[in-house]
Amino acid sequence: MHARLSPPRSFLRGIPITIWLLALVLGPLALTFLMSFYSTDGMLIIRRFTLASYARFFTDPLYFSILVKSMALALVIAVLAILTAYPLAYLVSFRLRRGKQLLFMLSIIPLWVSYLVRIIAWRTILGNKGVLNSFLLAVGVIREPLSFLLYNRFAVAITLTYICIPFVFIPVFTALEKIPRNLQEAAGDLGAGELRTFLNVVLPLSLPGLVTGFIFAFIIALGDYIIPLQLGGTQGIMFGNLIWSQFGFAFNWPLGAALGFILFGISVAILALTSRFGTTEGGFLSE
Amino acid sequence: MGEELAIELRGVKKAFDEVVAVQRFDAGIRKGEFFSLLGPSGCGKTTTLRMIAGLEEPSEGEILLEGREVSRVPAHKRNVHTVFQDYALFPHMDARRNVWFPLKMQGVSLAEAGERIRRVLRLVSMEGFERRLPQQLSGGQRQRIALARSLVDSPAALLLDEPLGALDFKLRVAMQKVLKDIQRGVGITFIYVTHDQTEALTMSDRIAVMKGGHVHQIGTPDEIYNTPATAFVASFIGDMNFLRGRLSAREGPTCTVEVEGETIRAGRCPPQVKPDEEVLLSVRTERVQVNPFRATEHTVSGTVRRIVYRGTDFEATCSFGAQEIRSVVNAVNWDPKLRQGEQVAIGFAAADVSLFPRTQESEIIQYSTEAV
Amino acid sequence: MSSVSAFARRRGLGLKLYGLAVYLFLYFPLAIVLIFSFSPTKTMVGMQGITLRWYQELFADAGLLAALLHSLLIGLAAVSIAVVLGVAGAFFVTRVHFPGKQAFRTLVLLPYILPGIIMGISLLIFIRNLGIKLSWFTVLLGHVSFTVPVVMFQIIARIVRLGPNYQAAAMDLGANPAQTFWYVTLPMIRTAIVGAALLAFTVSFDEIVISFFLTGSAWMTLPVFIYGMLRFGLSPKVYAISTIILLFSLVLVILMARYTGRTGEVQAVRKRRGDGVD
Repeated sequence: MHARLSPPRSFLRGIPITIWLLALVLGPLALTFLMSFYSTDGMLIIRRFTLASYARFFTDPLYFSILVKSMALALVIAVLAILTAYPLAYLVSFRLRRGKQLLFMLSIIPLWVSYLVRIIAWRTILGNKGVLNSFLLAVGVIREPLSFLLYNRFAVAITLTYICIPFVFIPVFTALEKIPRNLQEAAGDLGAGELRTFLNVVLPLSLPGLVTGFIFAFIIALGDYIIPLQLGGTQGIMFGNLIWSQFGFAFNWPLGAALGFILFGISVAILALTSRFGTTEGGFLSE
Repeated sequence: MGEELAIELRGVKKAFDEVVAVQRFDAGIRKGEFFSLLGPSGCGKTTTLRMIAGLEEPSEGEILLEGREVSRVPAHKRNVHTVFQDYALFPHMDARRNVWFPLKMQGVSLAEAGERIRRVLRLVSMEGFERRLPQQLSGGQRQRIALARSLVDSPAALLLDEPLGALDFKLRVAMQKVLKDIQRGVGITFIYVTHDQTEALTMSDRIAVMKGGHVHQIGTPDEIYNTPATAFVASFIGDMNFLRGRLSAREGPTCTVEVEGETIRAGRCPPQVKPDEEVLLSVRTERVQVNPFRATEHTVSGTVRRIVYRGTDFEATCSFGAQEIRSVVNAVNWDPKLRQGEQVAIGFAAADVSLFPRTQESEIIQYSTEAV
Repeated sequence: MSSVSAFARRRGLGLKLYGLAVYLFLYFPLAIVLIFSFSPTKTMVGMQGITLRWYQELFADAGLLAALLHSLLIGLAAVSIAVVLGVAGAFFVTRVHFPGKQAFRTLVLLPYILPGIIMGISLLIFIRNLGIKLSWFTVLLGHVSFTVPVVMFQIIARIVRLGPNYQAAAMDLGANPAQTFWYVTLPMIRTAIVGAALLAFTVSFDEIVISFFLTGSAWMTLPVFIYGMLRFGLSPKVYAISTIILLFSLVLVILMARYTGRTGEVQAVRKRRGDGVD
């Protein structure tokens, strides 16, 4: 059916969601945008237009460099997540006959099972007295606990990758599942072995799902501040920490708003890429 | 079949933004008639059906139901029901409750409706299936439940949107008979959308042939088949030869045409074509004889290009000058000595020849590799 | 020929081993938490028997139990609101034609896909500007912000999957729009609503970032409370409550899978794909 305007009465059912959108999404974001143009004087917020906060971000080398480092780390994390999750999705989608549902569930259960608990688990594993160190000591591989496991970028990377794996798995798996199996047979019939079929048929067709997964992982990694706070130490500070600290003792809400809005801008720009190159948004919210 | 009109369409037009789906539909469908809308996909037949059902509103024109103007009346207030192509049985209700639904909407309780439900299930031969859920039924069974559901409250007309499309051939033929019997038995008006011309010819009292939103012809199967109004109708129904020629002269109702150097008399001439204009000559393949026993009114010579065996008959494609003409001959009458490359006599009668303006050539349905 | 199949089998085996390794990697941390919750020692060197002491201490911790209750209440409240808003919104987006629909959908999705910190600070700024004090109410507002997209998009997916014909058929058979909604549409999306509610509840129960920003000093949800516990280091009580959360979430996820068409969707996609058998 061609698009046309619906009768006015049917717009009534859109009122609740529009009110919600204005009150809890657009309103807050707009006010944050506004706040980013204010400044502080001690504990008071001066509500006069100024670009001081944004200037601070661009001039102070610390802020900018942390943003760049965060983006780089997020990139690495996204890549690691893909390298881990894609083969898994391929395995479950293409190599299994029975038990596909079960393994799909197994792959995404970590996603729904408490973010915080997963962080606690990794702190346990990576600490000086942690599981990994204790094991290596007990086995005799090392004589002293490895201190580089925790409170640095490595810990942040491995934990965030762990968090992101299910986020990559879902869109990739969905994309792989949509590929008609007789394409594979056709390729084989035309002389392509499994690797060639994968590179020429499966991989290109699964690209939208891969792009979506990559972008989700990137955004999650970029915007996280709890993991860097818990496991990053001083080395592992990410951009999210900078934002968060403005709302704590530093009490520089305008700066926090400016930094937050910069993060918002980057996130939205990257998410816009999903609609162009990736699968439909909300991919893992659909059934 | 009564003389009163069950459904009337007056100047009905439907446009979606710039695309005109239905150009102008004028028709009066009689009570108890089996009326088909026939045409290729995209011709507007389904849109027309939906407008009658009330699922679409016409851009122009009026639709009358039993004399009442209903163009702006919403679907749920109209006394017609649709049998959808995918049946649209409610999956969360068993067969009995599905059939009960229209009565329920009128305030009839399940208990009160019991007898009517039983009767209509008997009509479609689905007694005993009351408790089955749609997913437990086969395609043909689902279709009969959908039919029962649409008949249970005796609507003024039943609208069917290619209901047999999803069935395989043998089942489809069987269901055609079932549908026709039910329609005759109940005496209800059927409006039947299909792209299958055999189906339309077999079942209908009258057919409206459509293409690109235009109604080319409304008539009985005999009229559609033997006196097609346009080249499109001629090509869409049955198997038709088309030859290019030039009109020589008119002689009363008939006229003569120049084709490949031969002068052919045609039994039906369109009034708008003048002498010396280019025309299309059409003659049914089964009316063309190869090496006929008895003399035919017209005989031209040609060479056999291809012979195809089709089980019940043979199709011989012969060259005729620079053009081709096909003859379909019953297997019983086929001359087994006929070979490719032979020179033959091709015969047909003037009464079987119809003419169409050359301008209609683009509308002909052809099945050639180029089109694909 | 045999070498090719042997190679193929080896390749297949390689991928399977890899898959196993990934699953071990995914579940190893969770298993650690589970194990440590039963360990009597405070250090992490070897197990010395099993104890339920930490669980017992949990039940004695009034603050924790209160936080648990708060999380449950917030979850129920937020999900209830989200279901009403989300179902209405889903029908609005799927049935009503208006320009800019894609942009609208993206805007609704924002609270869910944006990093929590952005929504956290935005809502905080917004609430403070309105002069509202931080309390359970502000936490509820925060939870409503990200649960609505969860519900709405799940319902949209189900509506799309059902197709428009059922609605047309109902109306054609004499049901007015209200009757169509009540007798046909609603029953057909019922399981989707339950599944979406479970999903939204799971997200809400686990949420920490927005909750942290919007919480008053004393009134905490469970994740915020546990986060506070972490400031004193990793005590075994943390493992105990973590294990409980793990199991609770697991139950929710399994229930959710039963109700949403996820597995059903896998089947439907497989049929469409031409697998043949199935």
